[in-house]
Amino acid sequence: MKRLLALLLALVMVFALAACGGSGKEETKPTEAPAAAEGEKEESEEAEEPEKAEEEEKAEEPEASGETIKIGYVSDLTGATALWGTAGQYGAEEAIKEVNAAGGVLGGRMLELVPMDGKGEPADSVTAFKNLVEQHDIVASIGTNFSSCNIPMAAVADELKVPILGTAASNELVTVDENGNLHPYSFRMCFIDSYLGTVVGNYAADTLKVKKAALFTVAGNTNSESVGQFIKDAFTSKGGEIVSEEQCQEGDVEFRAQLANIKNADPDIVFVIMNDYAKIATFAKQAREMGIECVMMGHDGWDSQQLAGEAEGALEGCLYVSRIGFSTPEAREFGEKIRDNYNTSMEAECLFGRDGVYWLVDAIERAGSADPTAIRDALEETDVFEGLIGTLVMDPATHNPSMACAIYKCEGDAFNFQEIVEAQ
Amino acid sequence: MFLQQFVTGISVGGIYALLATGYSLIYSLLDFSNWAHGEFAMVGAYVAIVFSTMLNVPFVPAALAGIIGGAAISFLCERFAYRRIRKNGSPNMFLMIAAMGLSTVFQQAANLIFSGQYRSYPFKLPISTVHVANAYIGVLDLLSLVITAVILIGLVYMINKTQFGLNVRAIACNAPAAKVLGVKVDKSIASVFLLAGGLAGVAGILYGMKYNVFPTMGNVGLKAFISSVIGGLGSVPGAIVGALLLGVLETLVSGYISSSLRDFFSFALLIVLLLVKPSGLFGVEVQDKA
Repeated sequence: MKRLLALLLALVMVFALAACGGSGKEETKPTEAPAAAEGEKEESEEAEEPEKAEEEEKAEEPEASGETIKIGYVSDLTGATALWGTAGQYGAEEAIKEVNAAGGVLGGRMLELVPMDGKGEPADSVTAFKNLVEQHDIVASIGTNFSSCNIPMAAVADELKVPILGTAASNELVTVDENGNLHPYSFRMCFIDSYLGTVVGNYAADTLKVKKAALFTVAGNTNSESVGQFIKDAFTSKGGEIVSEEQCQEGDVEFRAQLANIKNADPDIVFVIMNDYAKIATFAKQAREMGIECVMMGHDGWDSQQLAGEAEGALEGCLYVSRIGFSTPEAREFGEKIRDNYNTSMEAECLFGRDGVYWLVDAIERAGSADPTAIRDALEETDVFEGLIGTLVMDPATHNPSMACAIYKCEGDAFNFQEIVEAQ
Repeated sequence: MFLQQFVTGISVGGIYALLATGYSLIYSLLDFSNWAHGEFAMVGAYVAIVFSTMLNVPFVPAALAGIIGGAAISFLCERFAYRRIRKNGSPNMFLMIAAMGLSTVFQQAANLIFSGQYRSYPFKLPISTVHVANAYIGVLDLLSLVITAVILIGLVYMINKTQFGLNVRAIACNAPAAKVLGVKVDKSIASVFLLAGGLAGVAGILYGMKYNVFPTMGNVGLKAFISSVIGGLGSVPGAIVGALLLGVLETLVSGYISSSLRDFFSFALLIVLLLVKPSGLFGVEVQDKA
């Protein structure tokens, strides 16, 4: 009995050690993928630990000529939102594997991703980024997916003269300060809030021809509140009325108190501006349970291959607006690679991580150098970058990419592409 | 409208109650707040996920495995962490610090093993509601309320009417005296951890069925802790009442005032209660409580 208990204790300690060591800065190389599971609805779910930092290192990569080029990655790798942070990391790692397998950049130099946990917190993200620049000599950094983190990081990037590529950081202030001055070293890959919010609000008013709307946002979440405000502005300017405005807090799973108010207001549409598919699905199910029958509409926070299935029919006929990229065959193929190699389903962040790497590769090749300032110049001069999230056209004056929006509609177990829309 | 909010509040409070009773039981014996308790629920929920989705075990046995998993992790923590600290004669503060450490370790371990992804059980109840008067009650809510009620009634009976309950109450009252009188203190404490862990496992699975399973789901333990303080730390019926009260209060504040002020009101209630009636609604008079 004693021996058994000692063995169990040892196991617990191994877990503890793994937990302490796993989230750190060591480069995380995936081991061989756990055998891929069925392509059915649920992703493969072996109990395999995605233990990385393993011995295989760079043994089988093509011979490198010249120094390895290090690319940083700052995101929320632990905590409540680690789902996206790690998704972006997997996407970036997969892309780097592809690039290295194809011979690297600048005639044979290998790339290396150095991930660092910013915990989704501004202070931690700034520290992580500084650490990457000062201790790891990165030439550029990908991430984060939070505007609240990228806004303070932008000023630091200007100071350290190392470019950062925000992934889903959509607030206007990520690339320009309050006075409208450009942060020369800060870039992003996503829509800005005003653009997306306007598209959603206009589409509801013009195409769906609804008059009364309820707006549901996440209090304290910059993206949700800001997009919500732009939806409201666009929708009301077209003659629509917001009959109910409700909020939840980050991490909430119980929405029925607010839903009771929404039901009372009897809207024609509910704008659900949340960034988490499981919460959106829960929201939808609770809404249907409470007898709210109207259509719901969302923004790019709805981008998840699991949303429709998770909602179990509660989102049937509902719509969201996002990039074109998420549903293309290329994106799906990449999603399968992620599923096979990392035992996780694809989130939009995977594509952002992947595109971040390829955009940097494109810039490094055009610059002919891995010098951070040269990379920055090349990023700014990007004419058109074809990524999996869509075709990105860079505005050098604001560092905001412009991309067309697509409308997706929930039909059965999936959201299907409907049409392309523009603001106005 | 009010009825709807009330019903929702009760269903939220039901989950808090399952966890809060665990807090209370452990507090009554060891005089410390087991901060890792929410994580026991998380572990239980994940064990059920492993069984139901990875090993394709039918849901009911998988859920039982989850409950056993919650109980086992709770037992192991007591056996290898808390008991040692107790035997060292360290102050109770050390137990709480150890619990905080364990809580973080479990959360990180879950993140590492299962990734931050949301998992759901293959067992789904159709989205359907029972319409009573002016309120809609979800079938899953109804089911989980019934399960919770049955378990909690059983628990209160066990504490008040069985030899085991008597032992636990004796230890809670005066552990050295109970030991002198022949109560097996260590064994009883271990049993209480098993029981509390099992209850946490049930809570974890019900929570997972309603809201999915994810590594930070154990954070709901904080609410359960507040419930148990409101009810009176160490009192099982108090914890249940405190939990229902907190669930209803939160829902009413979210519905009628603002969801942003929800936690403000919860903690304000806690502070007011600590000022006016420090032992909580049902608590016994004690000074040195967390």
